[in-house]
Amino acid sequence: MALASSFSAARAQDAERGQALAAERNCMACHGERGVSAMENIPSLAGQQAQFITLQLVLFREGLRDVPPMEPAVEGLTDTQLEDLAAYFSSLPHAVPPDRARRNVGAYNNGAALSNRLRCGVCHLPNLTGQNQVPRIAGQREDFLAQTLRAYRDDKRHGTDTQMNAAVHGLSDAQINALAHYIAQR
Amino acid sequence: MASQIPLRAALAGALSLAFCLPALAQQPAPPASPPAWAQGRSADQANSPLAPHAPRLTATPAAQIPVSSIRLPEGFKAELWASGMPGARMMARGEDGTIYVGTRTIGRVYAVKDENGTRTPRVLAQRLDQPNGVAVRNGSLYVIAINKVLRFDNIAQNPNVEPVDMTAAFNLPTEAHHGWKFAAFGPDGKLYMNIGVPCNVCTFDENKHALIVRFNPDGSGREVVGQGVRNSVGFDWRPGTNVLYASNNARDWAGNDTPEDTLHRLARMGEHHGFPYCSGNAWQDPGHTGRKCSEFPAPVALLGPHTAPLGMRFYTGTMFPEAYRGRAFIARHGSWNRDTKSGFDVVTVTLNEDGTQGKVEPFLTGLLNTADNSFSGRPTDVLVMPDGALLVSDEQTGAIYRISYQR
Repeated sequence: MALASSFSAARAQDAERGQALAAERNCMACHGERGVSAMENIPSLAGQQAQFITLQLVLFREGLRDVPPMEPAVEGLTDTQLEDLAAYFSSLPHAVPPDRARRNVGAYNNGAALSNRLRCGVCHLPNLTGQNQVPRIAGQREDFLAQTLRAYRDDKRHGTDTQMNAAVHGLSDAQINALAHYIAQR
Repeated sequence: MASQIPLRAALAGALSLAFCLPALAQQPAPPASPPAWAQGRSADQANSPLAPHAPRLTATPAAQIPVSSIRLPEGFKAELWASGMPGARMMARGEDGTIYVGTRTIGRVYAVKDENGTRTPRVLAQRLDQPNGVAVRNGSLYVIAINKVLRFDNIAQNPNVEPVDMTAAFNLPTEAHHGWKFAAFGPDGKLYMNIGVPCNVCTFDENKHALIVRFNPDGSGREVVGQGVRNSVGFDWRPGTNVLYASNNARDWAGNDTPEDTLHRLARMGEHHGFPYCSGNAWQDPGHTGRKCSEFPAPVALLGPHTAPLGMRFYTGTMFPEAYRGRAFIARHGSWNRDTKSGFDVVTVTLNEDGTQGKVEPFLTGLLNTADNSFSGRPTDVLVMPDGALLVSDEQTGAIYRISYQR
């Protein structure tokens, strides 16, 4: 018990340092005031898996994932600072974006069937909230999801491995749009 | 596992398909092909939650490195030799005593040297595509990424030397999966490396993949040393014999206990060691029945199903007791494709006199917690130091342990 409480206290301190750093690096200008993005093609980070955030920040810093605006954002940050940022954003309550579209039942059902066929829930878990290095995708911005899925399909992005490239290989734009709609509505 | 070159290759493949069959673009999409690691899964395994473990790409503080969990035979001692090298994998020793350390996902090569009892690692190279292979010869460090070979000349005298790009001369395959290399110079002065199979299990060109190959140091003279070796990420030559032994990772998704990972003896140049037809303990793959187990040399030792034996070296020092001299030390990275985790340790293999059979015994344990099926470290490579101590790299914690013996 003592260990567990000192561990969560440490996490709270990490998140506090991360909050200060996020303000300094102006993360909220794009990712939203409380980590919920209202900006097209910019992901929400609130409630995201900490391990996923850390790994992506390392990939940005090491020049292994190419998103130009993220270069200055992570430049010069230490491993601990990246982990602090991840602790902060993962500690924020997840919320759907303020401009989320209304549900289109047809697209939602198509997306649900596709998600089932592609077995998204094996790694992202059945409720699509992710685990460890696998991101939470439920309730993410629909435009960002569609853009990301296209980038994986077109081999313009890979993660810490190439699993997503294989998972979405050969999907049509229409299928990707349905999948993104379904996931965004979860 | 991250890689850019293979993605380009995959893109080129997709483009050429589009050129050949332009109508396809308008058709409903084909079913998604599973990632390479998930190929070969049976229908009833489709929802299995087993998947490769997440890498850790940030530095683990020294206080959190599980050196005190390590258990060894009596008289042996483990200490933290170096840390702060996220993703630390294969090791090679330079002539000035610098240890060069390759990685996979984080794309770096580290250099760490003992200076008056302190060892502070530095990043020697970065932004590489899985630079797992490191080898030293005549003062030059060779770094082998998936399809890149860099040579750092006179690196002891000139630690910041710009590398010579040898990529074109070696002309390695571009596939990402099992495309990371283990590399070492043999007693013949040639550079040996693995070329793994670009899938879990599949039909492939047996002259291009599942190989151990050797080159002249300038990248010329490629020769196949062994065929049908699915993916070896560790090999060494038995002292006094110059016979090559290689650890090998068998396929996944064939059950918790089949097939076993193995140690092979590569006694005859170019000999085929069984994959994809035969693996482990004479286990005939039901999907690849074209050749029989009786056609291939049996492995020297069985190293457990899915345990992922990687770095492997013969003990050539004199610090350890007599019984350990000449044994093979093998780092088992630990399983993912098994409900009950196994490995996450270092074992030794004692060979019989003619070297055709080996006895496996535990050596370094304690990083696997069987009570809750979790692990705290992943031994990845072993290296014998001039004083006879054994270095063990741990990819999960970015650390190197030093194992010594005192009577």
